[in-house]
Amino acid sequence: MQIFSEIAPGVDGIYVENTRFNTTLVSFNFFVPLSEDTVADNAVLPYVISSCSYDYRDYSKLNFKLDMLYGADLNIGVDKVGDMQRIKLAISVINDEYAFEPQTLIDDAVELLLSLVFRPAVENKCFFADDVEREKRKMKEHIIGEINDKRVFAKNRMLSLMFKDMPYGMSKYGTAEKVEGITGTSLYEAWQRLITDSYVRVQVIGKKLPDGLFSRVAEKFSAHRSIQRKVYPTAAPAPTADSVNEVTEYYDVSQGKLVMGFSSEVYGNDAYSLSVMTDIFGGGPYSALFENVREKMSLCYYCSASSVRNKGLLIVDSGVEVENAEKAVSEIVNQLELIKAGKFSKFIFEASKKSMCSSLKSYNDSIGALDGWYSTSVFEKTPKSPEEVSDIISSVTIEDVISSANGIKLHTVYKLLPAKEDK
Amino acid sequence: MTTNVFKSEIIGESYTEVVLENGLRVFVYEKPDFDSSYAVFGTKYGSIDTAFSLDDGDVVNVPEGIAHFLEHKLFESEDGDAFTKYAATGAYANAFTSFDRTCYLFSCSNLFEKNLDILLDFVQNPFFTQQTVLKEQGIIGQEIRMYDDTPSWCVLFNLLEAMYHKHPVRIDIAGTVDSISKIDDKLLYKCYNTFYDPSNMFVCVCGNIDADAVTEKIKNGVRQSNCSEIKRYDAVEPESVVRSYVEKQLEVSIPLFCYGYKQPVSAEVTLYDSVCVNLLLKVLSDDASPLYKKLTDAGLINDEFDAEYFTGRGYAAILFDGESWDPRAVADAINSEVLRLKKDGIDEELFEAVRRDAYGLAIKRFDSVNGISMMLVDGAIHNYNIYDELEIIKSLTVQDISKYLRYFNADKSVLSVIKKGC
Repeated sequence: MQIFSEIAPGVDGIYVENTRFNTTLVSFNFFVPLSEDTVADNAVLPYVISSCSYDYRDYSKLNFKLDMLYGADLNIGVDKVGDMQRIKLAISVINDEYAFEPQTLIDDAVELLLSLVFRPAVENKCFFADDVEREKRKMKEHIIGEINDKRVFAKNRMLSLMFKDMPYGMSKYGTAEKVEGITGTSLYEAWQRLITDSYVRVQVIGKKLPDGLFSRVAEKFSAHRSIQRKVYPTAAPAPTADSVNEVTEYYDVSQGKLVMGFSSEVYGNDAYSLSVMTDIFGGGPYSALFENVREKMSLCYYCSASSVRNKGLLIVDSGVEVENAEKAVSEIVNQLELIKAGKFSKFIFEASKKSMCSSLKSYNDSIGALDGWYSTSVFEKTPKSPEEVSDIISSVTIEDVISSANGIKLHTVYKLLPAKEDK
Repeated sequence: MTTNVFKSEIIGESYTEVVLENGLRVFVYEKPDFDSSYAVFGTKYGSIDTAFSLDDGDVVNVPEGIAHFLEHKLFESEDGDAFTKYAATGAYANAFTSFDRTCYLFSCSNLFEKNLDILLDFVQNPFFTQQTVLKEQGIIGQEIRMYDDTPSWCVLFNLLEAMYHKHPVRIDIAGTVDSISKIDDKLLYKCYNTFYDPSNMFVCVCGNIDADAVTEKIKNGVRQSNCSEIKRYDAVEPESVVRSYVEKQLEVSIPLFCYGYKQPVSAEVTLYDSVCVNLLLKVLSDDASPLYKKLTDAGLINDEFDAEYFTGRGYAAILFDGESWDPRAVADAINSEVLRLKKDGIDEELFEAVRRDAYGLAIKRFDSVNGISMMLVDGAIHNYNIYDELEIIKSLTVQDISKYLRYFNADKSVLSVIKKGC
C-alpha cells in the first residue's frame, strides 16, 4: 500500500497494488460531518451526479457508455463512518487486455469518473429539475422501503433511540421529509461543499497505478480548494445511561426482532480488544450467544453481536418469538456477565482470534472488500493493512477481553413485536 | 479414475475434473496468488426431489422441506458438531439448500487440508435420533416463520405457487411447519442413503491449493458407492399457469412485485440458452434500455428493479421483480416492450453494449475464489465447462438471441404483489 498524502488540500491518495484481480478499481470517498441540515442533500447528490453529467446528459447514454466499457461498475454508497457521512463513488473495470479489440478501458473509466465528479450537469449553479426530482423520488422510496427489511429496520431504529439528538442517530440518508425539501440549488451547494470542504480519500486498487492519475486528481481538486483543510474525520464515543432505555413497537409481523445497544468504555481506533470480546460474545457459531441463546435454549433464530470500535458501541441483533423476548433479553445480559467474569473457555477465545485473523487475511482476495477496508480506516493518518490488524488481534490476551467486557453497559433495548390484535 | 483438464486462453487459467471410481466428481481450480481457499461438498438433491425410487424399487414420497432439514441435521455427529471442529481452525463454514442441490462449504486462509477433512467427515457421517429431529423441528419452524415475514421471499414463492400446478418448485424450500412435523429419523436416513451417495455428489475446490494433493486427499477420504440408480418422479406440469394474479398483504411501505413468464420445458435449459436469455433480458430491461428509461421516468420503478432467468430441472421462467406503486402498469409496459421488440427487432448498438457488459461481468467472476467455486458447482450439476460462457458471449449475434423472444408469452404470465394491509 502506498500513501500519497495531501495531493491537494484535504485530499489523500492510496494505491493498493494487487496483481490477483482481472479488474482495477478507483474510488472517491468524500467525508463530511453528519448534520441534520445537510445529510439528505449529501445522500441524494451522488445518485444525481452518477446518473448524468455535463458530458452524458441522459442516464441511458451514461449507462450505455458503462456497458460499452465492458460493464464498468459504477458503485455509489452513502454510509456513516464515525460521526461522518461517507459518500462513495467508485468505478471498477476489467483490465485492458480483456477487451475484444485494443482499448484503454481503465483510462476511459477514470476519465468518466472524473467527469461525473467534476463536470455535473448544472445550469446557473443549479441541478436540472428532472434529474433532481427523479433521484429524490427514488431516495424517498428507499427510505420508506426500509421497513420491508425488518432486521435492518429494527437495527436502525435502535440506533436512532440510543443516539437520540446525536449525529450517529441520524439515518445516513436523512428523512423522507428532508429529501422532499431538496432543490436543484441546495444540491449544487452540497456538491460545492463536497468538492471544496470535505476530507477526500481517493483509492486505487489493481495491478498498476494508472499513469498520472493522482496528479490529475490533484489538479482538479486544487482548482477548488484553499490551503486549509476544514474537515477532519471524527467519532465521539457512544452515550452511557444510568437506566436502560426500553422501547417496544408493534407491527404486522409474525416474528419479533430484538436489538440491544451497549456502550463500551474501551473505544477508539486501537480498541481491538473490543473487537475480540464482541466476537467471543456473538461472532461465529462458537460464540456465547450462538451456542447458548440460539442453540441450547432456542430463544432466537439468529442472535449475533457486532461492534463499532471508533464509537465504543456494541449491538446485539436477534430474531425472537414474542413469548421468548423477555427471556432472551435476560439471557443475553447473562451471557455478557459470564464474559465479564472470565467464564469462557480458552477454546472459544482462540477460536475467535483464529476466525478473525482468517477473515482479515481474505480481504486481499476481494477488490470490493479492500476498497471498503481503506475507506473506513480514516481515523489515522496511515491506515493499517488487514495483515497488520491480524497481528494485533493475535496479540490480544484473555485479560484484555475481560477488561474490555467490564466496560460494556446496556443502554437501549428495542423490540419490534407482532401487533397485539394478531396474537 | 478419469481426468479432464479445462483451459481458458481468455483468462489464462485452467482447472481439472477428476471422476473417481465411486462416481464422485472432483473439480479443482488453483489460484496460487490468492490467500484464501474455498471448498464445497455438494449433492444433486434439493427441495424438488420429493418423489424417487432406488434401483427400480417402490416410489418413495417424502415430506416437503426434508432436503433442507437434512442439511441442518448433518452438522451434528456423534462426536460433536461440525461448527465446533471448524472453530478450532478458524474457517468460515456454512451450508445451503436450494431447489436442486444441497451444498456444504467452508472458506479459510490456512489449514486447508484439516478443514477439508472436517468437511468430508461430517457430510459422510450422519447421526440422527428422534430426539434431535424433534429439537430441529422447533428451530426450522422459527426459520419458516422468519421467511413468512420476508416480503421479497413471499413475493417469489407466491408467484411460483400461482405459476406451477404440480411441479415441486412451487413449494417453499424449507417446507411448512406442518410438512416438517412429518419428518423422522428413518425418513432422513432414507433420503441420506439415496442422495448422499458419492455417485450423486461433487466436490469443488478453488484457491491457494495443490490440485494433486487435494484430489489425492479426497480420493482417500470418500467411501464406496452403494447406489446404482436414482429415479426421480417429477409430476407432469401443464403449460398453463394456475392463475395470472396473486396478492398478499404484509407490513411493507411500497408494494413489491414479481412478474414472470412461464416457459414450457421439454428439455433441460442449456448454458447457451441461459446466456442468450440473460442477454435478451439486458436488452429488454438493463439500465441503458428504453424500457428502463420509460418506467423510471414514469416513476414506476426504482433501483430495486431486476430481472433473472430462473431455471432448473423441469422448470424455467423469466422473472422481473422490484418495488412499484403500480405493479400492473410495470407488467403492461414489459409486455408492450416485448411486442415492440418482436415487431421492430433488437437495436444492434444496444445489443453490442449489453454483450460487452455481460462479457465484463463474466470476466470479473474469475476474481473471486467463492465465485469460481459456485460456477464449478453449477458446471457440475448442469455438465458444462465454466469457461464456455465467455466463448458463447463472444460469439453471439442479435439473430441468436432474438429467437428467445418467443418465451415471453403474456398468456402464460403471472403477477405477484405484496402490499400493505388496509
